Amino acid sequence: MVKKSLFGKSIRDMQRSKAQFISIFIMAALSVMIVTGLDSVWKTIDDLSGVMYAATDISDLWINVSNPSEKELWNISRIDGVKKLEKRFTANAITGLKGRPTLRIYAVSGKNALDRPMLKQGRLVSSSGAILDEAFAKEHGLKINDRVEVKVNDKWLSLRIEGLAQSSEHIYSVKGTTSIVPNSGKYGFAIINEDMLKSAYGRTVYNQVCVKLSPGADITRVEAEVDKAVGDALIGIVARGEDSSTNNINANIRQFKTLATVFPLMFFLVTALITQSTMLRMVENQRSQIGILKALGYTKRSILWHYTSYGVYMGALGAFLGLLIGPNFFGRLLIPWLKLSFTDYRISVNLVNFIFSLVLILACTGGVSLYACLRLLRDSPSVLLRDKPPKEGSHIFLEFLPKLWNRMRFSRKLIARNTLKNKMRMIMSVLGITGCTGLVVAAFTLCGMVNGIARQTYDVTYTYDQKIILDRKADSRFIRNIKLDGTVQQMEETAVEIVCPDGKRTMKLLTILPQDSPLVHLKDVGGNAVRLPENGISMTRKLAQTLKVKKGDIIKLKRYGKGYVKVPVRQIVYLATGQGMYMTDKYFEAIGETFRPSAILVKWEHQPDKTFLEGDYVDEYVDRTSQIKDVKSSTKVVYIAAILLIFLGGILAFVVLYNSSILNFSERIRDLTTLKVLGFYQKEIRSLVLTENILSVVLGSVFGIPVGKVIAELAASGLDDQMDLLSRITFSTVALSGLITFVFALIINGIVAEKMKKIDMLESLKSVE
Amino acid sequence: MSFINFENVEREYHVGGHTIKAVDGISFGLEKGTVNVVLGQSGAGKTTVLNLLGGMDSPTKGRIIVDGQEISKMSEHGLTTYRRNKIGFVFQFYNLVPNLTVLENVQLAKEICNDPLDSKEMLTKVGLENRLDNFPSQISGGEQQRVSIARALAKNPQIVLCDEPTGALDSATGRKVLKLICDAASSMGKTVIIVTHNALIADMADSVIHMKDGRINEIRYNDSPKDAEEIIW
Repeated sequence: MVKKSLFGKSIRDMQRSKAQFISIFIMAALSVMIVTGLDSVWKTIDDLSGVMYAATDISDLWINVSNPSEKELWNISRIDGVKKLEKRFTANAITGLKGRPTLRIYAVSGKNALDRPMLKQGRLVSSSGAILDEAFAKEHGLKINDRVEVKVNDKWLSLRIEGLAQSSEHIYSVKGTTSIVPNSGKYGFAIINEDMLKSAYGRTVYNQVCVKLSPGADITRVEAEVDKAVGDALIGIVARGEDSSTNNINANIRQFKTLATVFPLMFFLVTALITQSTMLRMVENQRSQIGILKALGYTKRSILWHYTSYGVYMGALGAFLGLLIGPNFFGRLLIPWLKLSFTDYRISVNLVNFIFSLVLILACTGGVSLYACLRLLRDSPSVLLRDKPPKEGSHIFLEFLPKLWNRMRFSRKLIARNTLKNKMRMIMSVLGITGCTGLVVAAFTLCGMVNGIARQTYDVTYTYDQKIILDRKADSRFIRNIKLDGTVQQMEETAVEIVCPDGKRTMKLLTILPQDSPLVHLKDVGGNAVRLPENGISMTRKLAQTLKVKKGDIIKLKRYGKGYVKVPVRQIVYLATGQGMYMTDKYFEAIGETFRPSAILVKWEHQPDKTFLEGDYVDEYVDRTSQIKDVKSSTKVVYIAAILLIFLGGILAFVVLYNSSILNFSERIRDLTTLKVLGFYQKEIRSLVLTENILSVVLGSVFGIPVGKVIAELAASGLDDQMDLLSRITFSTVALSGLITFVFALIINGIVAEKMKKIDMLESLKSVE
Repeated sequence: MSFINFENVEREYHVGGHTIKAVDGISFGLEKGTVNVVLGQSGAGKTTVLNLLGGMDSPTKGRIIVDGQEISKMSEHGLTTYRRNKIGFVFQFYNLVPNLTVLENVQLAKEICNDPLDSKEMLTKVGLENRLDNFPSQISGGEQQRVSIARALAKNPQIVLCDEPTGALDSATGRKVLKLICDAASSMGKTVIIVTHNALIADMADSVIHMKDGRINEIRYNDSPKDAEEIIW
């Protein structure tokens, strides 16, 4: 019985303060939704790729080496930490299919156990068969037993499709030279038997050694020893995490880990702040009720639970709703934009963070009410039942400036005293709005930064119309003699093995350009044009940060078929996407290499030269506009996430404003009623309450700008090591965020004004409560 | 026609599906400059009369005419203006603004009306000239009620409405407060209406309206009202 009547009271109390309870519910739901939602994105891809890596036995190192000898293989296998190694051949091959799509060919022996495909259909049986990329096959309508022609070493091979599969090296499947976004119609993989190579090369050939390390092996040391064992034949070593697929997946995981740390933290700060102050005030307003319950003989425990339960119910309900919506909504919405090759998957939930969030929310709701209630229960019922001691009026510092004070109207004096007396209330509102504005500013800034990547890269740095990848038979003399209608420039792009001053090895993209390139305009971080150094290399800022290399450092660079050469980093340049190194063709020759242009950049005077583009010397070409589209598409997921965050940050801002306005209003309703009875007009009363709201909105919005900048910078720096984002708070970002908050404030002021109109003068004057 | 006229005034409330007639067809007239008491048990409808007269509520039927103006027809805004310029209130629980000093509470009322009286003078009249800078929480209940009287008078209203002005005070303090209201009002020519359940207060009034169950039981006129100090309860 006891419980039943108290429960009835709970329900009725919640109805009476529905604004506050709904606010708590929404804030809890939003915060949990964001943390579990963003977490689910990286957790899902982490789990899925982990399962796939394990199932296919992915290698830890891929050593690119031209024709490894048995002795070299033996030497590698003797290195401490190398558990298993296999050799294979891999190369990109153009197919005979429509649009000349490319397949990455992996030629293996029947015994290869590392980097196995994940078969979906059929299996490799004959020595002239192939296992084809499932997505590629689907895109081209290819089925088992169909044939596909590939050009290897200038010879056409006909492959019979015997199986369809996914590959852990092609979860994020990009070709690199012309595209950074997976396009399964243009690029896929095929696994063939190494015997097939005999018809292309006259013998079996190998160019890659796949290595599995024993757990805990020191990769840097193993790489150094591999380098020694292989010597000049080494082209480069790619560790897992540096190849484009795993690198991209790791970048995605990192992106969403960053987003899932920075933004939820802000949401939780605001939620915790507002929830605890709301609960505190609500329990304190129930003072005499607690007195009555205590006087009636309810036990301390049942009273405590009665008041704690409000917050616990709302907080827990909100949190579980957030858990229900977050992963499903964020996961299903965002993961497809990552363009990974997973076809069907379950969304993973990071329960650790959920439990952590739930505990935090319950502490801010139930915990705070428990504390407030315990504090009140210390008094005897007789004390509690007596009217709450009237709030002390007190003089404020402004009064010591009589000139100013005496000139103020009374309504202004009232506002000033009220605001300064309830400093906590004001501080809470301001902090709440600061947090929300910060969130919105940060999310807008992130949107702007992400949008700026394509512009910076393909409007400022690169100004060509088309990048044309040349066939290997196009030598430099041929290129020099090409007559095209427009501006033409040569470039060579090659992945080279480098050794950093701290001993770290990695393969990075090196671009070799003629000095004063007409179509490539490198800039420093300040946006000033720079010339390539004559006796050293230029490194992009983000890469330098990732490798911990400074201007003036000397790195070692592996030459093709020769030893390493030391080169100084003379210059740091800024490039939004596509991090790498640059040097002049002269310097490239000076370190003993040969400049063999792999591509030309063209800015056409009139129409593109179709005959040339479709001719034999061109492997493929790409328009700058489609590269812009690619960049935008690859950053789309962050962009969408940022839009969602703006939206949810907006809801949070609205709830925070609404909650504090309604609380301010209901706590001052007695004063307001008195004023109304005295004959103050509606608009005069309104200005009393709303001035404080507007003040907190203005202060909060102003403080929110630097907060937003910091959040955006934090989020941007951890986003991706391929992207270098400059955070710039633009006027329009600030104006837009301010406008949103201001519109919210107007709407809420309207709601409060409506409530004010409905003040019942008779009811409120009767008793002190 | 009297200064204040109630003509067949009815006021119904709807509470939880029930209709309650708080005031059920009452008519009376009150003269300018008199002290009047509305007497009745709780629930008799006396506070409703005060609310209607004070422009805080409107009748469902009938007319209320004050100084030639029909306030029962006025809009919300019109009623606010009416309260602002014509009415001074004294409440049972004083209803002072806790965040304003004694002087400021009086000045607050003064700020909004056309022809205010000097706030300090009013506070001197109620004997609080030494308390000007105190906040309501720093003074006693009787003193707070005196502030509220000063606030009502400072507006220089035509009518002073008092809702159980002594309800929260001990009898000695209550007497002082009543005397203050009557003396001040009569010296300034105000019309005073006091709502109370305390029959003894009735002796000091020029007229007494006795209410029961929403109707007027009797209207009694006192030719020689007692001085507030002589009343004993």
